[in-house]
Amino acid sequence: MSGRAVAAGTSLVAGAETRVSRSLPRLFGSIAAVGAVLAAVPLWVGDSRVRMGVAILGLAFACYAIGFNLIFGSTGQLFLCVGALAGVGGYGTALLADRVGVPVVAALVLAALGAALVGGLLSWVAVRRSLGVIFAGIITLIFALSFENLVLGASTITGGDSGIQVSAGSGTFLRERTTAYYVMLGLVLLCLVVHGLLRRSRVGWAFRALRDDEVAAELAGVDVARYRVYAALVGSAMLGLAGGTYALIAGRVSPTTYGFAQVDVVVIVMLAFGGIGTLVGPVLGATVFTILDELLIELGQLRLLAYGVLIIVLFLWIRRGLIPTLAELVRRKPGSPPGTAPDGEPG
Amino acid sequence: MALLELHEVGKAYGGLPAVDGVSLGTGGGEILALVGPNGAGKSTLLKLVVGLERPNRGRVILDGHDITGRPPHLVRRMGVAMVQQTPRSFPTMTVRENVALGALFGRDTPPDTDEALEIADEALAFVGLDDRRHDTVGALNLHQLRFLELARAIAGSPRLLLLDEVMAGLNDAELETSIDIVRAIRDRHDITVVWVEHVMKAVMGLAERVVVLDFGRILAEGSPDQVMRDPAVVEAYLGKEDLGA
Repeated sequence: MSGRAVAAGTSLVAGAETRVSRSLPRLFGSIAAVGAVLAAVPLWVGDSRVRMGVAILGLAFACYAIGFNLIFGSTGQLFLCVGALAGVGGYGTALLADRVGVPVVAALVLAALGAALVGGLLSWVAVRRSLGVIFAGIITLIFALSFENLVLGASTITGGDSGIQVSAGSGTFLRERTTAYYVMLGLVLLCLVVHGLLRRSRVGWAFRALRDDEVAAELAGVDVARYRVYAALVGSAMLGLAGGTYALIAGRVSPTTYGFAQVDVVVIVMLAFGGIGTLVGPVLGATVFTILDELLIELGQLRLLAYGVLIIVLFLWIRRGLIPTLAELVRRKPGSPPGTAPDGEPG
Repeated sequence: MALLELHEVGKAYGGLPAVDGVSLGTGGGEILALVGPNGAGKSTLLKLVVGLERPNRGRVILDGHDITGRPPHLVRRMGVAMVQQTPRSFPTMTVRENVALGALFGRDTPPDTDEALEIADEALAFVGLDDRRHDTVGALNLHQLRFLELARAIAGSPRLLLLDEVMAGLNDAELETSIDIVRAIRDRHDITVVWVEHVMKAVMGLAERVVVLDFGRILAEGSPDQVMRDPAVVEAYLGKEDLGA
């Protein structure tokens, strides 16, 4: 029996490095490497206001992708309301701070908690009713569409189509492009550390078990329902926090800031590209996709065609995502399995 | 007091009774075999105990606590482990991690990860899979996968072990090892074993008491020799099947 066939047979979400529990230095090493690379970005594009804006949005999407990865990649819950939960954080922060007069940080925390509660509740309903992936997807999609409608309908509060200005945060470092970038980067790293520590802990074992085989996990003593709700709570809090922080930095929120087409679709592509269920894959996917989006902007309408081609390539050749595929290549090389020619390059 | 007591337990699917009012008790490190023709309700009965299915009527009592309809993870933590007919494992984990998971989540007071891995090594040595502990489960055959499940079950330190046809399809040598291992589990850990089996040779060699089910009801009960001589059993079951297995 060929080992490669076995590896290919494992599920789409089976990250290569999930096989061994990561040691703490390795865990922080990979997060620090990501942080170091991304911290250098302002040196490169810092003089362009527009490009810094794009970079900040890219980091916000990295947070969304990490949150979605925790919920979908780690526990198999298809949450099609990433944008809506970020929107709960974004609109929540803006309204609490500007209309209610709650201090900015408290508004952000409360809004993130709100998003966590909504996400946790959706998960709880899906888990209680034992809904499969598709039905959980439908329920969360309905929530996402309802949220968009609510935002459009309650225009006296939300500004409807045109959105609202966010005055909280104006005149602070949050409106300075470079510092705002580092705030967002800090949030990305925080999300990575939280997810990384979760994966290493008992919770991470439960995630892997229930993702592999729900019934076997339950029979081994894993409270599958509880761990799913945990993942939804923590992941949704990340989404809410990132959505809220982005609202404070951008100074304006509108339905398209958190729309299904503008957020969820993109996040799914980013995650699929980076590697579902991996730790730093979502950040890699978000980075590559953001850069690609900038490069292709001159193509205009052809950009959509280019994405189409990209997605096809993605799912044909690197279905498991970039990180697992690269890890596989690296692992295969030193072993020099029979049948492959020895490396021409010395060293 | 009996560790496990079933009181008039029943389960019907769409009006068809799979288990139709079964009462029995076991405990004290007994090895109890459940036998009967296909569709007699043996596997369903085990599922009712661990909570994979919910009975329509009757009560399941474990050590004096009513556990009827409790979810599997709670039943597991109360000390009941099951090995299913079709082995289920965690394909992204190594053999060792598969077993460690049983220790991490199956016990009432969970060990830390390192302790769990040590417990896993012991359990793997016990079932003779210690040389495979760093393999992925994809590399194991059916026989080894069942032993892997068995190791995961005992890593959770159960008081009651339910085995669902774990010896089906084994050759003679594998059968001998399996019988020895089940007996050793009981002897060493004082675990009560309830065991659904088709392989009569294994039943005769291992069981201390046999309960024969037919159409969801208990047809006969007693020592293996007694039961095999019971005319009702011979007619309902043994008459139709090859005794030699």
